[in-house]
Amino acid sequence: MGHPLGILVVGVGFIAEAHIAALSASTRASLVGVVDTDSGRAAAFSHTHGSVRHSSDLSEALAWPEVDAVIVCTPNDTHARIGGQVAAAGKHLLVEKPLATTVADAQRMSTEFEAAGRVLMAAHTHRAYDYGRAVKETIEDGAIGQPVFVRLAILGGWIWPDWNAWVINPDRSGGHALHNGVHLLDLATWWMGSEPETIYARGRAQTASELQIYDYLEMAVNYSDGSTAVCEMSRAHRPGSLSQRELLVAGTDGIISQDWDEESSLVFLENGTGLIPAAGRNAFAIQMESWLDAIDGGTPVMSVADGIRAVAMGVAVENSLTSGALVRMADVLAPSEAVAR
Amino acid sequence: MSGTTLGVLIAGFGGIATQDHQNSMYVPAFLAHDGFNVLGAVDVPGTTGAELASGRYEIPYMTDLDEALADDRVEVVSIAAPLERRAEIVGRAIRAGKHVLGDKPLAASLAETEELARQSEMHRTVLVPAHHQRLHGVLRSARTELKAGRIGLPWNIQADFFVAGGKTAPTGELMNLALYPIDVVHSLLGLDVLRVYACSGKYWNEAQVDFVTLLLDHENGVTSTIVCGRTAPMHDVPPAGLVVHRYRMSGSHGVILTDATKPTLTVRTSQTRRTQWSGPNTVDLLVDVLHRGIVTGRPEISASDAIYTQRIIEAAQKSLDSGVPVQLETAKKVN
Repeated sequence: MGHPLGILVVGVGFIAEAHIAALSASTRASLVGVVDTDSGRAAAFSHTHGSVRHSSDLSEALAWPEVDAVIVCTPNDTHARIGGQVAAAGKHLLVEKPLATTVADAQRMSTEFEAAGRVLMAAHTHRAYDYGRAVKETIEDGAIGQPVFVRLAILGGWIWPDWNAWVINPDRSGGHALHNGVHLLDLATWWMGSEPETIYARGRAQTASELQIYDYLEMAVNYSDGSTAVCEMSRAHRPGSLSQRELLVAGTDGIISQDWDEESSLVFLENGTGLIPAAGRNAFAIQMESWLDAIDGGTPVMSVADGIRAVAMGVAVENSLTSGALVRMADVLAPSEAVAR
Repeated sequence: MSGTTLGVLIAGFGGIATQDHQNSMYVPAFLAHDGFNVLGAVDVPGTTGAELASGRYEIPYMTDLDEALADDRVEVVSIAAPLERRAEIVGRAIRAGKHVLGDKPLAASLAETEELARQSEMHRTVLVPAHHQRLHGVLRSARTELKAGRIGLPWNIQADFFVAGGKTAPTGELMNLALYPIDVVHSLLGLDVLRVYACSGKYWNEAQVDFVTLLLDHENGVTSTIVCGRTAPMHDVPPAGLVVHRYRMSGSHGVILTDATKPTLTVRTSQTRRTQWSGPNTVDLLVDVLHRGIVTGRPEISASDAIYTQRIIEAAQKSLDSGVPVQLETAKKVN
């Protein structure tokens, strides 16, 4: 066995911790450095993570000889630019979802990594969660025949910081559909095994009417085979302690469902009632191994084409929210659809 | 009116295609209710089940609808006519001065439904459409909590209504099954619908639409989504039994999750595991709604509910035909 792959993490916000925990469980890769535009935060992060090299300059870090691959955990609007630098440096990339905030940027990243001969994967971690895999495997086993309807809801309360948070700035995050909605859009589509044709979305600024994003999203997807998915993503629910996932997949020969009480324990407390989800496999570790497999020549759990499609679906949702109309995926993917797909 | 015991005529043993809700639902409920006296069974044009029901339930067999409607002892008529003749038969009963329990949908079109409501008001009779699913115990209690503001101001409802097995309605399930969850959402929110987007599929019966998804925009920015289908038969689900029936109500201050396949008991033996219904029968409750409505003059379910559901169904059909959301032309205040 050769040396572990040297991994540079760019952006040391909260999601970086999940990736680094996955790295620490891998024998095939190890953290060799971190980059953050906030040099103080990079230094502090390094201090608590084995004093790995740190910098506020991505170009400098990409030149470190021990760096073989990069994990990007920065705000969504930076993915395309940073991705371009990583490809130009000849490194592999695992980038937090969404791949980019526009279809054109996502397609450009695809072209850049293909030209560089390096692996690009978007971190759609829900494909690696136990429930995501179990549903996919059950469908592929043929247990319910051809899936014709997916209901997938991920509902919770407000978890974001204050008004300055980039996630609630649509110019930076791309909007809630691109930030979190893509998780559900991608997962439902992966389960369905069909191509999305049209999207109709509704949103609600529930926590504050001044929000520039919708903290509650409902996204109805119609697929080329006539099937339908209804996906809901919420950071709008109250009480804030609510954490509920709802899934139902109807097929020609049966139904898969998982209700709130089929994965979690119920806890009664003096200040309310809550759920304790079952401990499961580490989805970030599974995702990491899949990315490393792809670097070794294997098939990744998330292809670049699927990453582009997820971006296109997120854009279609945002367009539908703006117009109130049904949006055709072909219109979102055009004019460079032929290049992307 | 003879005290609180009301004479009932069972008229018609048909419905959409082969439906016979009189035998399967309404007659047993009327017989079980102390406030009703079933006087007889009569066919209506297009049905032939009266004589059989007469023998089965030991109730008088009547051969002429007009004669039966002219009988002064008859105060209430339970009507299950073929859909294409339903409005005509209900109208005849109303004009004869009878109160009516009408199989759902109350009529085949919004125009017919509105005309029946007008006639019922003119003749001062009570007209109750058989929207019995809203009477489910968990839904009644959830409605009480919603109306009381338990979760603040509701802003979204998600509904799943899946029946396993049975025959797909020739009209498609938008007109048949979807009426139930539309009515439930209406009873929970009491808000008019301004916009409808619908999509559908033919997955378990290639000839008819057996699956519909409705996205409704209500007043005050409230939204609801109703998913409804009739799947293939499923293990441990009786024919035409509800395999999924649930509602999620999100409000400004809380969430209610309601599983309307409950309350049940779980019964395990060495051979089987099954659930056993432990709540009241919603059709029994419907008949009681009819009785109280006649006695008080204020039925809990009325023709306005049939108008509401039919209005959404017709808008949904337009959306299915056009493939785009449909704006309802005039929002009519309900309840």
